[in-house]
Amino acid sequence: MTRRALQPMKSSELAEWALPVLCYVCEAANSRDTEYCRRCSAPMALAHQALGQTTRPKMVAILGPSGSGKTVYLGMLMDMLSRQPERLQIVARGAFSIGLQQTTVSALARCEFPAKTSTEPESWNWMHCEIHRNDALAASEPPSFLSRLARYTPRKRQTALTNKSSCVELVMPDMAGEAILEEVEHPQTFFLVRSLLRNSAAVLLLLDASELSRGQRDPDFAAMKILSCLKEIELQGGTGRKSRRSVAIVFTKVDQVQGCRENPEEFAGAYAPGAWQHCRQGFRDHAFFAASVVGGCTWLEVRGEGRRQIPLRVEPHGIIEPFEWLLEKLYPRGRP
Amino acid sequence: MEKHQDKLRLATIALFCLLNIGFGLYAWQMPMLIGGAAGMVYAAVATTLGLHHSAKPAEAPLPSSAPTIADEQPTAPSDTDALVRRMLAQSRHALLLRKQVVGNLHEDQFQETCEQLHACMALVPEGDVVLGNTYNDAEDELGGLTSAMAGRRMHVNPLFLDRYTVTNRQYYEFVTAGGYRDMTLWEPQTWTAVLDLVDQTGQPGPAFWQNGRYLPGEEDLPVVGVCWYEALACARWMGKRLPTDAEWVKAACWPVATGVTAIVQRRFPWGDSLDRSRANLWGSGPNRVVAATEFPTSASVGGIYQMVGNVWEWSANDFHLSPHQTYGGAAPLKSIRGGAFDTYFDNQATCQFESGEYPLSRRRNIGFRCAIGTCDLVLDLPPSALEDQPEVELAECEAVHA
Repeated sequence: MTRRALQPMKSSELAEWALPVLCYVCEAANSRDTEYCRRCSAPMALAHQALGQTTRPKMVAILGPSGSGKTVYLGMLMDMLSRQPERLQIVARGAFSIGLQQTTVSALARCEFPAKTSTEPESWNWMHCEIHRNDALAASEPPSFLSRLARYTPRKRQTALTNKSSCVELVMPDMAGEAILEEVEHPQTFFLVRSLLRNSAAVLLLLDASELSRGQRDPDFAAMKILSCLKEIELQGGTGRKSRRSVAIVFTKVDQVQGCRENPEEFAGAYAPGAWQHCRQGFRDHAFFAASVVGGCTWLEVRGEGRRQIPLRVEPHGIIEPFEWLLEKLYPRGRP
Repeated sequence: MEKHQDKLRLATIALFCLLNIGFGLYAWQMPMLIGGAAGMVYAAVATTLGLHHSAKPAEAPLPSSAPTIADEQPTAPSDTDALVRRMLAQSRHALLLRKQVVGNLHEDQFQETCEQLHACMALVPEGDVVLGNTYNDAEDELGGLTSAMAGRRMHVNPLFLDRYTVTNRQYYEFVTAGGYRDMTLWEPQTWTAVLDLVDQTGQPGPAFWQNGRYLPGEEDLPVVGVCWYEALACARWMGKRLPTDAEWVKAACWPVATGVTAIVQRRFPWGDSLDRSRANLWGSGPNRVVAATEFPTSASVGGIYQMVGNVWEWSANDFHLSPHQTYGGAAPLKSIRGGAFDTYFDNQATCQFESGEYPLSRRRNIGFRCAIGTCDLVLDLPPSALEDQPEVELAECEAVHA
């Protein structure tokens, strides 16, 4: 025998469920219980978190060809900022934002690289985080309007003001390199990538310095395609103008390359001339950086598994600097 | 060879004199320039000849070629004191205590040398050590790469190990004594590579030095930017050698046998948990190499400092792989141990963790310390008791290498 139970119908709740939720990335309407956007496959958790906020978090696109080190860079960046909060303090929003950090750090501690990112957008890792900048660092720079105002306010209010000025929110996805290049070369293949390229406020473009130093031009060509696509999307075919989007070109795996760490821009001119030229002519705010996560790598022939590259030890260098630079471009300290 | 050098020298002097006489008072600058140029040409030729000369160890097993000390050594007994003092100042006490050399020392010199040995090096007693993961109940914490080493039990003979890593100041002595020119110190297969082991200004020396010497203020920092062969050559010049993996781990872990088969080892030189205030690692130091004497609480039981953190240390062995793994790279790696100022993970800064590096790599965070077996030294016998030993002239003891 089935027991019948009548639930009271609350019009307010029904209306809430009926209201569409706009995807954070592509702004397509989705129903409230959808997990991934039906149009671009971005997680709807981002949209739900953004609903309750007055300021919309900004998106930073982490781009680069396959194997350039996007997953390792992003995972290590999150972990380093969590472990050493003197410069920047990062707080992940939502459990899904910690997955990438956990996967990357666990693998590297075992002297392995994390698994390759799948081309399925539903399996991509996303990070939504709050970033608190250290006020001590800000003190060394010209005082902002808020900090000047804070001097004349009561102590409790003063703390609130300064905290508000140093906390920002960012959303960063870890996309597959193949998907990025596929979308750049054949538009509308990956709608999520297209939406991210259109809506991201800043770009971190990662290029494998060890490949470039060996004379391979493929990373340079990939960078040229991505930069060209970014400029086209922003300027809608307009010529003669420069993009206002900030672009940080990060040469990765520089532990295997001599000279790159000391002068990344010179390295770019010598080994990635296409990307270097595109940046100079197409982007007003751009900078070159050098980064490495591992201190050494080698190739192993493992019986039954074939040949694979393994990290010998983890010694991160230059990971935080490009991110700090982008953050300064997105949220300048001197401005309220 | 000597004849050629004499002829060249005479020709240069003659040319210089002729030019000086030939030009008048107002043209005094020209002969100086020409004379200087001639001198430089002579120096270059002589250096080349000298290099070729020293690169034939088969003809000269105890060469008098490169080391400046050997050139300056007089045979008069009164100068032996000066030579001993100088060798002690160069931290070459192990060379003086070799069986073949020690007979040249007076009683007080012998005592002084022994004192310096004990001040600079710590005694690591004989015993067994387990390389790899010794925690049977723990999960595979060292990862797939190194966990296969678990349970490698090795026996270590008693040895002395440097209390501190070799510093820039000590390495400078090796460089100025002509260490890069004395080919007997180098592995024969690296002779062609030695010419390329230069600093930022093209002078022989570690990769990050300038003009053949370390940067100001860095004299007490561990020497870095040296490849495995440079480390080995310097150790040989000091009369020592590089420690093996088992020796290094034994000195750091200080194992204690609690039964016939059981061994208790430490994870870190000071205990089982990582105390970041005791080691210069990522997040616990200034993110650069610090002086070898800093972090005094990092000492192991035997009184050896900075075995964990600051700089990785070259070991004498090849990097170890498990039986089901083989190298896919170009060349085998050498083992490095101890972690450095930028080592990120705690489990990669333990005494057991082994990493690898190509033997010709000259990294910013790899240095070395030296070892010598007690069986190679004379420690407790007075020099007079060694009369039956075949003595080597002190002036020739430069050639008695490990």
